[in-house]
Parts: sequence; C-alpha cells; structure tokens
Amino acid sequence: MVSRLLKNWGGPAFFLLISLVPLLLGVGYALLYSLGLVGVLSEGFTLSHWESLLRKSSFWQTMGFSFYVALVTIMLAGVLAASLVLRDPKRFRQPTPSFLMYMPLAIPAIVMAFFIFQLLSKGGWLSRLSYKLGLINDLLAFPDWINDNYGIGIIVSHLLMATPFFVLFFTNIYDNEQIASYRQLAYTMGASRRQARWRIELPMLLRPAAPTLFLYFLFVMGSYEVPLLLGSQSVQMVSVLTIQKMQRFNLENIPQAYVTSVVYTMLVVLLIALMAWLSPKKQTS
Amino acid sequence: MRRLQRIILLVLVLFPFVFMLGLSLGRDWGYPRLIPATWTLEHWSSLMSGGNGLGASLILSLGLSFSVSVLATGLSFWGSRLVAYHPRRNLFLRAAYFPYVFAPVILGACLQYFFIVSGLYGKLGGVLTAQLFITIPYGLLYFSSFWNTRRKAMEELVYTLGGNTWQAYRKVLLPTARPAILTCFFQLFLISWFEYGLTQLIGVGKVDTLTLQVFQYVTESNIFLAALASVLLILPPVILLWLNKRYLFRLNTEYTTP
Repeated sequence: MVSRLLKNWGGPAFFLLISLVPLLLGVGYALLYSLGLVGVLSEGFTLSHWESLLRKSSFWQTMGFSFYVALVTIMLAGVLAASLVLRDPKRFRQPTPSFLMYMPLAIPAIVMAFFIFQLLSKGGWLSRLSYKLGLINDLLAFPDWINDNYGIGIIVSHLLMATPFFVLFFTNIYDNEQIASYRQLAYTMGASRRQARWRIELPMLLRPAAPTLFLYFLFVMGSYEVPLLLGSQSVQMVSVLTIQKMQRFNLENIPQAYVTSVVYTMLVVLLIALMAWLSPKKQTS
Repeated sequence: MRRLQRIILLVLVLFPFVFMLGLSLGRDWGYPRLIPATWTLEHWSSLMSGGNGLGASLILSLGLSFSVSVLATGLSFWGSRLVAYHPRRNLFLRAAYFPYVFAPVILGACLQYFFIVSGLYGKLGGVLTAQLFITIPYGLLYFSSFWNTRRKAMEELVYTLGGNTWQAYRKVLLPTARPAILTCFFQLFLISWFEYGLTQLIGVGKVDTLTLQVFQYVTESNIFLAALASVLLILPPVILLWLNKRYLFRLNTEYTTP
C-alpha cells in the first residue's frame, strides 16, 4: 500500500515540495503583500501600491532596461558563438580549444563583474593602457563604460560568460544534428558556401538552440550581482530594484518591491507562454 | 594564421585569471601603472594566518557547497526516478525550469517572510535550504534523461532474478549512474559555490561566503583582497574542470548535461 502510494505520488509530491511549493508560496505572499492583505503595513485590500508603482516611469524603464540588456547580450553572444563554430566546426572539438572554452565557465558572475570593473572603469586597466599609448591624457577622458546608462559593463560581463557557453553548446548541436553531412549534401547539390551556411547550417543550429537561448535570456534579465556592481543608479535592472526597495528603511517601499516581483513573475510567465506558443509543435502520427 | 588565432584565444581566456592572480600579489597600483608597483605575498600569508577572515570564509563556502551538492545530488537522483516514470513526466520536467526562470534573488525576496517565521533567516541552515530550492530542480532535470527504457529494463531484470529495490540500486543503478552522479555533483557544487544573491538575502550577510567577501572588499575598495577572494573562488571550479576533463570526459560517453 505504502510502496504503491510512493510509486504513484512520491515523485510528484517530492517534486512539488521542492520546486513548486516554495515558488507558489513566495509569489502568493508577494501578491497578498502587494494588495495590502498581509504584512506590517496591512490595512486591508488596496490597489494603491500597484497604482503608484505602475504609474512611475522609472519602473517601466527598469523593465525595459532589463529586457534590453538580456536581448543585446543574447544576440551578441549568439552571433559571436555561431560565427566561431561555423567558421571551423572541428576546432572546438579538439582538447585544447575545448578546454579553453570551458575555462571562463569557472569564473563566478561576481568575480567577472569585479574583473570587468577593474578592466573598463575610468581607473581600470584599459584606461591605463590608453594613457600609456597616448590615446587619452587624463583618466577622466576615458569613456563611461561602467555604471553607465547603456549597461555596457553589464553586457560585456554577461557576454564574456555567455559566449564560451554557447560555443560549446553549438559545437555539441553541430555534432549531434550531423550538420556537417547536410552541408556536404548541399555542396553536392550545387549550393554555394554562403547558401550552405545561411540556409542549412545556421537554421539547423539555431532551431534546437532556441529554448536554451531563451532560458539564458531570462537568466540575464533576472541577474543580480553583475548589475549590482556595474549598473547605474538611475536605470536599474529588475533584481537590483526589487532588493533595494526591500532593504530600504522606508517601509512604504516593501509593498512596491513585492509589486515588482509579481509583475516580473507575470512577465516571465507571459514570455514562456509566448515561447511555447511560437515553438513548432511536434508532429503526431 | 591558425597558430596566431590559437595564441589570441589563449591570451583572451587566460587574461582574467592572470589579472586576478597578479592583483592578489600586488600593492600600490596607482594610476597610470599597468601593473602594481610592489609585489608581495602579504595577502596570501594573511590568508594562511587567518588575519583577513578569508580562510574561514573559504572553509564555510566549501562546507556549504559540499553539503548542498551531496544533499541535492542524492535527493534529485532519487526523486528524478519517481518523476521520470510518472505519466505526467513532461509536465513536471517543464515545471522544474521555473526556479531558474525566476531570478533566484527575487524568489529569495518573496520567500524571506517564510524564512523569518521558520527561524532560518540569517542562519547557515536557511542558506542551505534556499540553495536546495534551486539545486534540486536542476538535479531533477539533469537525471531525467538517465532514466530511460534501458535502465528500466535493467532494473526489472534485477526484480525478475529475485532482487529487491535496495539490490537494484546498489548492484545496478548506482554503478551505472556513477559518472552521471559525479558530473551532477560537480555542477551542483558550482551552482552553490557561485551563488551570491540568495546567500546575501537569506543569510543577511551573517553567512559570510567567499562571494559575499568579494563584494564586501569591492565596496570597501580593497581591490587586492577582493582579487585574493576571487582567486580562491576561481580555484575550485578550475580544479573540478580539470578533474572533469581528465576523468569524467572519458567515463561519460553516453551522457550530456540538461
């Protein structure tokens, strides 16, 4: 009896307990708090926290900025990684280049952010090099690449972490999907090098990679430590804004932090639903 | 040309590692010097003597990541089998992506209240629990492809020959899963080792792991100690990577990561 129960419900129960219950509890509490139904400031149901936050242009700037950083990062990393793999697909199967691509994956995000800060800031290594080369005559002449409104430092940081990952990932797909043999077939049928690359290799590479590219996009959009260190105070990414609102001394900010969490959750669910809807359906025979 | 490309790749990849190591050994790095004016072992020797607290953080981080990865690997290996053979397998596996899709730090912020009422807020146990919330779903996804029809047939053969569940695990499933378990363990160790947001939020800065130390030294503008903490953070993953490449790549021929 017990073993049958465990067999039928053990897996789902365990899974729900670990994965979904914390998520649902967290988002549920955030929603109730944002509606004034729980928490130290609770005075009964109200939409005032939602109204005040959704009317702020800074909130929508945060959402837009997070979206922009994630999109630019994924597009640049995807293009860079795909061009590296397609240029010479065998290269990253060799032991040394493959190991070299794994090396940046050993760098935690916080360390990468620190490294980029030391590299790209006004007093950083590139600024020093530019000074030595006579390109600038003062550190203030070095461009603002850190804590700037375009998120250059954040994007470069994520790019350095994402590109090696996608090089390895695309190499794996190239092998698994046997793209080389399809390319050869295209050449046999008279396709040019350009046609083979754009009409055979690239679509065959990107189609199976799309879900991972999308998940990485969401990962960048919700990243915390990199924008915390390299982001600007005027335009923040969503995680940084949420935590800052939650940790301020003004208790009025806490419901707004929860509104941000709930809106972000809804946005992610919407994007996932859109992705699932757009992805090609499996043929049922 | 090919040789030149390889050298450029080598320099680009190794530069962050050399840069961090150089900073951890340096002092007096005034503008516009490209390298520190003085080279010293004082930061490393203070690590050995316990003067800067980094040694304690290193031990804490190692202990935490080791505990998280052992627990999460074991639980996800067991749980993944139950999920993998369930009729609603695909639904559960899709849902396992959600803890990643939501930013862990936002999840932590939403769960803060529950950690406070359960008395886990600001405690090592709280950080460990919070990290299990993100590592176990990863483990479930990782092991989901391990439980295929071949494993099921192998397991059923054990039962047909009179074996019980314990024997099936001990004699068949665990030995065949060894490379996958080791790889999963390494990956979960790294997820925990790299974790900053949840640890900072649920640990309230009291669970002083190396990632928190890096951030603290950066905000204090102590770049040399921040670099030392960074080197300590990079070192275990590089060793694991080397071990992974040396041993597991050979063993792990039929297995890929999720």
